[in-house]
Amino acid sequence: MATTSISKSIAAPKKRSRGLIITRVSLDNAKTLLGAGAFYILFIALVIGFLYPTLSGINFSSYLTSNAVAGLVGAKLKNVSSFSSLIGVELYSSIYALLWGGIIAFMAGAALPATFENGTLDLALARPISRTRYFLELWLSAVLGAIFLSLAATLSIWLATLFVKNADIDWSWLAIAELIELALMFLASGIGMFFGSFINASRAAGGAAFGIIALAYLMNTFGTLSDKLSWMLKIEPLYYTQGIQALSEHSITGWYPAVLVVAGLVCGIAGLVIFNRRDLPTT
Amino acid sequence: MTVQEPVIVIDNLHKSYGKVQAVKGISMRVEQGEIFGFLGPNGAGKTTTIRCMLDVIRPTSGTLRVLGLDAQREKMALHQRIGYLPGDVRLPGQMTGKQIINYFSRLQGREPVLLDDLVARFDVELKRQLKGYSKGMRQKIGVVLAFMCDPDVLILDEPTSGLDPLLQRTFNEFLLQEQARGKTIFMSSHIMSDVEKVCQRVAVIRKGEIVTIEEVEKLRQKAGQRVTVEFGDAVSPDDLSRIPGVSMVTSHNHAYHFNVGGSMDALIKALSRHEVLRLQAEEAPLEEVFLKFYENPQVETTTTGTR
Repeated sequence: MATTSISKSIAAPKKRSRGLIITRVSLDNAKTLLGAGAFYILFIALVIGFLYPTLSGINFSSYLTSNAVAGLVGAKLKNVSSFSSLIGVELYSSIYALLWGGIIAFMAGAALPATFENGTLDLALARPISRTRYFLELWLSAVLGAIFLSLAATLSIWLATLFVKNADIDWSWLAIAELIELALMFLASGIGMFFGSFINASRAAGGAAFGIIALAYLMNTFGTLSDKLSWMLKIEPLYYTQGIQALSEHSITGWYPAVLVVAGLVCGIAGLVIFNRRDLPTT
Repeated sequence: MTVQEPVIVIDNLHKSYGKVQAVKGISMRVEQGEIFGFLGPNGAGKTTTIRCMLDVIRPTSGTLRVLGLDAQREKMALHQRIGYLPGDVRLPGQMTGKQIINYFSRLQGREPVLLDDLVARFDVELKRQLKGYSKGMRQKIGVVLAFMCDPDVLILDEPTSGLDPLLQRTFNEFLLQEQARGKTIFMSSHIMSDVEKVCQRVAVIRKGEIVTIEEVEKLRQKAGQRVTVEFGDAVSPDDLSRIPGVSMVTSHNHAYHFNVGGSMDALIKALSRHEVLRLQAEEAPLEEVFLKFYENPQVETTTTGTR
């Protein structure tokens, strides 16, 4: 083994830019999850594109306008044979808010406990990094993950339109639909960060956050089925997520996305307060 | 920071987890340039104290100051000047040694000026993914992470855990060199032999309370000599126990073993009245003193070494 002696005159360490190193590492940890989400978005968009000539000839009216299916997809559509409606059902309905919102909720929920599990939390907080910055950088990684999935969806739809004849995508409304879904995923990230702030196991925290999105989906489905259960709709987030209406019918309620963003902020800030106040678990 | 203020000041520190009191009002001082040992059995409160110093957990009451800075309110300024080695070094398996060093160097906001020296000294592997590392290899990375940015104060939680004897010796030499450069080192351990080679003073903690704070040299004097005598005639253990300074008398196959504290004069005079076939004296291991502290806090509760 080599041995050396430390020079008596060691230069003082130069300062080093931190950048968003915590965010970068967190995104790197979630790359498999995000990669899988992006793959399925691309896969679904291309499949719809390839099948569109056949699907456009099928009469979905009675099917998609029923309460049961409207509950499943989160909207009652009038025109269900256009390409934008079909891609809306597949990529911007509540089912897919459940899946991709769920991915972001799980990612955000697991982000903080994962750093406890892999041993880096203590080591990081023993350095000149505040808990607030640590938390916010991890939250930012989940938001960037959501933006990545939104961009993947836009790119996938654009790829599909390259070989779909008469694709009736209105790109302005697609952007609005994308922003609405992004608002939902912001809420999902806030829910995830909330659970991650006090649950020490990454899978438990991610699973709990995903569970809230799944519960919201169930409430959305049941709330649409019957007027007697419609009260469920207004207390769950998917009701305020009108991506499919924006893309297919070019209509939204303007303040609904704000509900999602505010709820996401409330959850995330509550998580930040908890994380700042608690004792961190012993390794 | 005033000139007189010790580098580490812990005053009446309490930490409770619900009804469980992990630390019960401990106080201690560590001076600049000192290597201070913090000894105690598993679960005594060593790691809890260290984690309070780092503000990873919050004390129930009491104050902690390091380098003149409050460990909670001024932790950002403080953490720029400390290095920390946790008791159980766990690292993300998908990263390489080089990546983890870059990550923590950036979090520290400083260049790792001692990196090359540490890598050469401890023969650290940097290119492989950390998931293939043994405990000892992870511990070496932990040592590098603690020291690489040349901090003023090192807080080390059982630092030699997992290191082989050769590396332990290298590590001890390195600690002494760092001390010579003016660094202050606070290290916990449950193994006396780890700390007696490098520490000037030690505190012993048991069940959340400080049992003693003492200079290692004084503890050695207290431990005295371990004597083995083989007699040619009959001698009772009670006769030996009555000799001033003699304690812990045991016998085995006509040989008596006991500790002698202070002067040997009374023992030699007493032995001269018997037929002595064999006499052997050696420095008593400090482990025995500490085992007494660990097992029975009533042995001694002095804080004479507190400065």
